[in-house]
Amino acid sequence: MIAGKTWREVRWMALAYLLILEALCAPVLLLWPDIYEDLQRSTLFKNLGIDFAKRILQGVTDKDEQIAYTNWAAVMLLFRSTNLVCVAAAVLFGTGLFARERENQTFEFLLSRPISRGAILWQKSWPTALCLLLPIFLVNLSAMHWSRQIDLELPLVELLLCSLHASMFVLCFLAGTTWLSVLMRTQAHVAAGIGAFAILQIGVYLTQRLRPYSLFRLADFEWYGPLLNGNVSVRQMFDPSAGPGYTTWLLLATAALYTLAYRALRQATP
Amino acid sequence: MSAPAIRCAGLGKSFGGAAVLRDLSLTVGHGELLGLVGPNGAGKSTLLRLLLGLVSRDAGELSVLGLDPARDAVAIAARTGYLPGETGVYLQMTGAQFLAFCRGFHPRRDDARERRLADAFALPLAGKVRSYSAGMKQKLALLATLAPDLDLYLLDEPDRALDASMRMTLRDELRAMKAAGKTIVLSSHHLFEIESLADRLVFFWQGALLAADDVAAARARLRRRPRLRLQPGASLPAGARELRREPDDTLVVETDGDPMAWLRSVPDGVVEGAEIGVPRLDDLYDALFADLGKAGSR
Repeated sequence: MIAGKTWREVRWMALAYLLILEALCAPVLLLWPDIYEDLQRSTLFKNLGIDFAKRILQGVTDKDEQIAYTNWAAVMLLFRSTNLVCVAAAVLFGTGLFARERENQTFEFLLSRPISRGAILWQKSWPTALCLLLPIFLVNLSAMHWSRQIDLELPLVELLLCSLHASMFVLCFLAGTTWLSVLMRTQAHVAAGIGAFAILQIGVYLTQRLRPYSLFRLADFEWYGPLLNGNVSVRQMFDPSAGPGYTTWLLLATAALYTLAYRALRQATP
Repeated sequence: MSAPAIRCAGLGKSFGGAAVLRDLSLTVGHGELLGLVGPNGAGKSTLLRLLLGLVSRDAGELSVLGLDPARDAVAIAARTGYLPGETGVYLQMTGAQFLAFCRGFHPRRDDARERRLADAFALPLAGKVRSYSAGMKQKLALLATLAPDLDLYLLDEPDRALDASMRMTLRDELRAMKAAGKTIVLSSHHLFEIESLADRLVFFWQGALLAADDVAAARARLRRRPRLRLQPGASLPAGARELRREPDDTLVVETDGDPMAWLRSVPDGVVEGAEIGVPRLDDLYDALFADLGKAGSR
């Protein structure tokens, strides 16, 4: 019942989110031949002082167009769309999960139903997560179709691994937002809290020496680029002892945040 | 003899160091209709929430339908209809969708009761709840709470936002439920109506139950305090003194002896109307606090 209600609440937002993601995907891929030409002619970026921007530009101007295009897809589909649109959607979907119940004075009604609080959290979370994550896979897979229109390819397995990692990154934000949504009384407070955290993380990411300490370091070009080019093995995704293991850290963070959300909900009073 | 429907002993609950319930002991039998009376913040809603396990107790023992709310909240909720003090209805749903949503949690219904209430409330169930008035939202919440066939009903101010005729409909329905052996605990600010309905009333003050003797004494005092409307230009006859004058010029007086005897002694053409022995909740509390020396702390 609660899952069905949650689905009805997020389905139209999910459709809008899917369309926005797709609208950001198709043009940047279809315009690639012109963009590649422009990038190769340009000398402006070669003297950039920001190291990560320089590495991105080196990647997308590679002499091998297939490699350059794969890097371009990693930047545009994963680094840009996931970190901007998907994280924003996670915050948008997550803020209302419990804080809206408090605002609408239905929180007490919900807690008094004959269903455990763990089940309430689960039934609210999985439809939201599905609506949030499924578009990531669909849009990234659609990129294969757009690539063929310009006679280039994106590798299926690597694209799926990137989508999986992007999903974990977004799920981590959803879990954090859900936790705050249980704790806070209004959606505005939740959005302000998670928004402040995200801005702080972006600020840290843009600061040269502090970048390794930003959460966005786990989902930037320097991770997606090698992953999409097939230079990171599945083991390296999940095993911190064999490589960065970023996906494992995201899994652990997601589990920890959902545990916190569950504990907060168990202790929540109307 | 079977265990009572509700039994609490030495129940205590604090929020942020402030005691909301203090050493509360109470037993409610199966099939009993108990009325909770008290001013806002007296602890009535907290007691109802404790009974359902929505908040945890700090002290004391509590058993609801033979179960401990701290451990068996879901099992208790499966057998209990609860109407929260704040009308909890989903604005984005239609009335019919909300009822269907609630039916999923308590599938066993009393179809006859649901039909009676639906007919009496005459709600536009195809319309969005967002478009409902406060009274309509309360009716919808009541319909969702009372339609399931359950053992226990906890109703926090069920008559809130209802007009007089709907309050009477509700009262009749609660009577029928009581006759069918349902256990009902309800809070209300309408003393006269809750008194005519409940098997027993308990009075709350600052998280504790007032002693029955104190309430009886206050009621005795109130019986000597008729409300009068005098004829224009008439003055209050001897044997009674004015306690206060209401905005509509109704006088609340205190008689030296039996108010009926005093009223009979009043000459014709002085009193236009009188009300004796119908205590209002505010009056009863005023009398209680005066008796207990608490008037100043209200």
